[in-house]
Amino acid sequence: MLWIALHLPALSLESFMATLASEPQAAAQRPVALLEAHRIASANAAAQALGVKPGLKRATALALAPQIVLGQADAGRDATALLPVAHAALAFTPMVCLQPATTPGAACDTVLLEVQSSLRYFGGHERLLQRLHASLRPLGHVVRSASAATAQAAALLSRVASPPHCTDLATTRQALEVVPVWLLGPGREHWEALQGMGLRTLADLLALPRVGLARRFGEALLDEIDAALGRRPDPRDPIVLPATFESRLELFARADTTEQVQQGASVLLERLVLWLAAQHAFVRRFRLLMHHEGRGSQGERSPQASALDIALAEPSRDSAHLLVLLREHLARLQLPAPTLELALQADDITKRAPPNQELFPTTQGEREGLTRLIERLQARLGTDQVRRLVAVDDHRPEQASQAQALDGRAASGGSGGGRRAARSTAKHRRSLAGPMPEASHGEVGERPVWLLPVPEPLAEKGAGPLLEHRPLKLLAGPERIEAGWWDDALAERDYFIAQAPEGALVWIYRERWPLSTRASGGNAATVGGWFLHGRFG
Amino acid sequence: MRAARPALPEPACRPVRRAPETLHPALWLGHQWGRSAAAAAAIASGFARLDDQLPGGGWPRRCLSELLLPHPGIGEIRLLAPPLVAAQRAGRPVMIFDPPAALSARALARLGFDVEQLLIVNTRARLIPGSDSLWALEQALKSGHVGAVLAWLPPRLRADRLRRLQLASHNHDGAAFVLRELAAAGRPTASPLRLALQAAGADRLRLRLLKRRGPPLEAPLDIALPAVLSEAAARRTQGIREPALHEATFVNLA
Repeated sequence: MLWIALHLPALSLESFMATLASEPQAAAQRPVALLEAHRIASANAAAQALGVKPGLKRATALALAPQIVLGQADAGRDATALLPVAHAALAFTPMVCLQPATTPGAACDTVLLEVQSSLRYFGGHERLLQRLHASLRPLGHVVRSASAATAQAAALLSRVASPPHCTDLATTRQALEVVPVWLLGPGREHWEALQGMGLRTLADLLALPRVGLARRFGEALLDEIDAALGRRPDPRDPIVLPATFESRLELFARADTTEQVQQGASVLLERLVLWLAAQHAFVRRFRLLMHHEGRGSQGERSPQASALDIALAEPSRDSAHLLVLLREHLARLQLPAPTLELALQADDITKRAPPNQELFPTTQGEREGLTRLIERLQARLGTDQVRRLVAVDDHRPEQASQAQALDGRAASGGSGGGRRAARSTAKHRRSLAGPMPEASHGEVGERPVWLLPVPEPLAEKGAGPLLEHRPLKLLAGPERIEAGWWDDALAERDYFIAQAPEGALVWIYRERWPLSTRASGGNAATVGGWFLHGRFG
Repeated sequence: MRAARPALPEPACRPVRRAPETLHPALWLGHQWGRSAAAAAAIASGFARLDDQLPGGGWPRRCLSELLLPHPGIGEIRLLAPPLVAAQRAGRPVMIFDPPAALSARALARLGFDVEQLLIVNTRARLIPGSDSLWALEQALKSGHVGAVLAWLPPRLRADRLRRLQLASHNHDGAAFVLRELAAAGRPTASPLRLALQAAGADRLRLRLLKRRGPPLEAPLDIALPAVLSEAAARRTQGIREPALHEATFVNLA
């Protein structure tokens, strides 16, 4: 058995700093302290530089540093912040548990993981520790780690000044000798008595007869020592990963701008990514809920919460990419009221092997990059602004090409086109299969690349059409297109290719007006005459 | 005295006459072709006469090619189709930004495009708060994942915007065509290649190289585009050119 303990000495302060929703650099310079029962419980480096120390009264701290941000210690918030650390550890081993807090009421701040069976896979103890710390780095916590042969010993050793990494029981027992007795849970109650007897370290306690120790300080102290030394079984319950992800962040300062919301959401996204990594999953869609401040009488009118649903074309667990998407979506959002609380939910995930890392750019990497580019464009411009053309079997030119919004699967299809081809009907494929699509349809004339959205009426001089007051020369035609009686968009036209005076070719038609007047009810202004419909680009 | 002069040693620091382009790829003389590292892998335009006149023998990679045209529909798609189709054949995506009118799938398929793989991005459909419509184009160029880009720029574009695009296109390994109005010819450009397009009859295009890395090209370049007209119809254009000329002389006399 090899246990690693992750101890977060400044967890409650860091979990509070996350709720400030400000830039990490700015947060480091800001004096912040936490209050518990009107006394300072912990203070950050900037506050300590101003003389604010744990134990001071609230008023004293405010006198020393008027600009200090004072928050209330909250065990529930700390527990929420510790959970992502446990999720990060779950990516390395299924046996992860939380070390219960030594003092009742306080939040636990130590995560234990058993890694003996994972050592070989991750390339040894050193490499595993490196990767563990690397995966925790995005959370921004100060993490101290210790290794020991028993869970209790690892938890104890992670709290000493320079935590050792012992891989077997003998060195663990040796390292435990210098552990101060007050780190033991029951030892804390008897701290004064122990101090009075001159017992400072675990070695001092171990030198005493067991029976006397048990009588004087209770069985609990001995049990804990035995568990740490490996003399007594120490069963632990592994934590279980929740099936769906939901994490909340109550903002200390209400977020007025989307940038502040984004800062808070980035904390939640890091948690989401660790939750995904723990189960080798990728998220397909997630939802950011923003709880807003009610505004008195207007509270009914302004919604209390707004949700932002973000769907991904390609499942991902890259926090940078998710954050970019979130930023684009947030930039388009108007917050109805200042935001007080954020929540991130995700339940649509897909489990699969992680992608290979590539040294050189490959087509697969490029396709993934393209998918992300399209996602970014869609997030900013709107989903229906990125389109592709689809050829439709219709003789009317304005119906023959349709621009369709690119959906997620089409975007990820790439140029292989297997899934895409399957989705477009066989008919469409046939029409585009060969270089000469008209081979199976009979003779179809040339079509211009550019089609005017609305055909432009042309002036006439004699019988010939004019473009920009100059006559057009008819060069080819007529090509009669008569279709659409079935869907109320009847087209009865004779198309010609004509040459504009400057030399370019245009596509014009003449409405076959006698039939059209009968069909459309005699709107004589729009029927008959020449129309410009396209240009040969 | 005359005997003394040859006795003087040659100055050691006298520059060796070496061609500047051998010193650094960014150096060249005014009468030479610009040879950059990217130009070595220029993209064939599909028109031999145009390739002869383009630095590097084709459309450049990793920089913008600016094309000025009076209005869409004078043959610009037929001119640009070969490099775009080549990019698609190589399995790389082609993106079209802000096309000025609806595109016909059938016409594009006939030019060789894989129509369903074309990505069309409309950036001006909606006013995006706090950003310009060139953001999307810049992102596409920067990403380096797009094979070729064809973009219609908004009119009266400021030079610094174009410079941003030009900088972004350094990441873009492929052709990047930006199409602008003819009036932009009077304003400076950050793109190293600028052409003006003009219709020169049916299925013919007249190109003027306004800017290129190399000596200026005085005479316009006429190229024949893939024909839309049948041969009979093309002959008809010859036939009607004569009366048009007569008409013009008649007007002049009057």
